[in-house]
Amino acid sequence: MTMPAYYDFCSRVKTISGENAMEKIPGLLKGLGVRRPMIVTDRGVEAAGLIDTVTEAIDGGLDIGAIYADIPVDSDYRVVDDGAAVYQNNRCDAIIAVGGGSVIDTAKGINILASLGGKSLLGCQGAGTIRRKLNPLAVLPTTSGTGSEMTLVAVIADTERQEKMLFVSHFLLPDLAVLDPRLTRTLPDFLTSQTAMDALAHACESYYCMEKNPVSDALALRAISLISEHLLPAVRNPAETSARLALANASAMAGAAFSNSMVGLVHNLGHVVGAVCHVPHGTCMSILLPYGLEYNTHRREKAIGEILFSLAGPEIYAKTPEKARPDKAVEQIRMLNEDLHNITGGKHPRFLGEIRNKDGTPAVPRSALPEIARKTMADGARLPNPEEILPEDALMVLEHAWAGIHLDRSRIRKGA
Amino acid sequence: MNIDRYPEIRPGKKVFKKAYAFVVLLVVGRGIEAADRVDGEVKDIVRGLPEGFTFSLGVAPSGPWMVIRKEKSGKLRYLGWRRFGKTIELDMAIRNIEAAFRIFTFRESTAQAHNNGRFSVNGNLPNALAIMRIMDIAEIYLLPKIIATLAVKRYPDRRELPPGRKHFNRLRIYLRAFSPGLFRVVYRNL
Ligand SMILES: [Fe+2]
Repeated sequence: MTMPAYYDFCSRVKTISGENAMEKIPGLLKGLGVRRPMIVTDRGVEAAGLIDTVTEAIDGGLDIGAIYADIPVDSDYRVVDDGAAVYQNNRCDAIIAVGGGSVIDTAKGINILASLGGKSLLGCQGAGTIRRKLNPLAVLPTTSGTGSEMTLVAVIADTERQEKMLFVSHFLLPDLAVLDPRLTRTLPDFLTSQTAMDALAHACESYYCMEKNPVSDALALRAISLISEHLLPAVRNPAETSARLALANASAMAGAAFSNSMVGLVHNLGHVVGAVCHVPHGTCMSILLPYGLEYNTHRREKAIGEILFSLAGPEIYAKTPEKARPDKAVEQIRMLNEDLHNITGGKHPRFLGEIRNKDGTPAVPRSALPEIARKTMADGARLPNPEEILPEDALMVLEHAWAGIHLDRSRIRKGA
Repeated sequence: MNIDRYPEIRPGKKVFKKAYAFVVLLVVGRGIEAADRVDGEVKDIVRGLPEGFTFSLGVAPSGPWMVIRKEKSGKLRYLGWRRFGKTIELDMAIRNIEAAFRIFTFRESTAQAHNNGRFSVNGNLPNALAIMRIMDIAEIYLLPKIIATLAVKRYPDRRELPPGRKHFNRLRIYLRAFSPGLFRVVYRNL
């Protein structure tokens, strides 16, 4: 491979993985000076009995100061303010976040406010606000997708101004990531499949986008091979402990990769589809990932071809002529989506037009596509994508993804 | 200690690089103002920005800079190279003069420079993305194709930007950018 002219990479999250990983938490947190952690989670995780599992595992080692489980699906800065008050009132000194992306981001927000002091997260905005080490944060992901346990960002909604507050700081990297298969056992099959596709999207995009570098490449390729080997077994049979542990590892590795080399078209379009139509992130990722590869092939033929090696294994890679590898990689991802669709009884989505709201109406009406395409210009993921993405380009891709058809390559604008 | 062994350090090359960056920023600033009166896409983007919105692009830590504001009329106005006394809502700074020189001599595309962390951006992200797009369009008009191809991610082909329109708009932008208004703004900044 050619070396990038410049890159930077930083990932310093202590990661523990294994069937008894949670039992290690008290010792590791004590080593960081922790005495009274607060557990941050949501009602779904609590109802699944996971908080009992967690408290049992760390029982006796640490004095749990509070359990804050009031994180709604659409968490915002007021939830953060509320959680930080609970933290301070109970004299906690660390956070153990147990949940998916929304819980982890909210926990990072609470940690900013609780560590730096203050009444509201609104007062912590602006670049350079976070200038020092925050209090310890341990993350126990209950989905294998977002990779937030490895990222240095927190996105917190400001519902009143309809904006998203973006916090980026190396101090937001958690101190500890705990990958324990007990945490993902209760996740329904169609969520296991969609969140894993989010992780696959992180790995693929970090491998072909403009900030790719040798360190993130290594993480991305291994994450891809773990997912392609273990996703179907984990979805078919949640009792497959090792398969679920593999997915948790892949998600964390893909998280570390994309936290450093960023994402492109798939997330650019996916963020906006999610925001406009209230579709879960993993759903958007499953559908859009093949299009990200197709759209960028003319710029990154070699890198996208190499993805095939990890997706399909050395034999298929070697048998496929170099020119045909990118398309074969796309085909593999489409096949994976199709298999997941069948195993989950149709709950794993294949194209935007088939996603339904709870009341059966289409979640992404075709008439919403032009608005989505326009709004992609305001999303940061458009910058690291190798090919330019203007609203006309976004609309063209969205129309294909809506109907579930292969991207018509003659319609990709490649410039002069 | 012999004081004669410590002669005055002459800035030499740095002055040249700064002067070069100064001229580039002046031309780009005037070019953006002109593009907002000529190109449909720029007009559309500017319509989405709040009135009074002021942004600055320049080289940290000590300049040169350019400052542009959206006026009451709804149009962008290049205000010159002085930041003093202006409330800047979006501050985009290239981290040092060396990086700026590489970008302004088109050895690193604007997108790649962003991805390599050469810029520090303070302000709201959607607005920053809007301004970056406007700068790309301005560069496509201001620069000859052979150079603009190095600066932007995708240089539009004849289907994306028909040559007739490109050359006509380019002429109008040049005429506006180098009109007597240029001398007025230079004079006001001195
Ligand atoms: Fe994602």
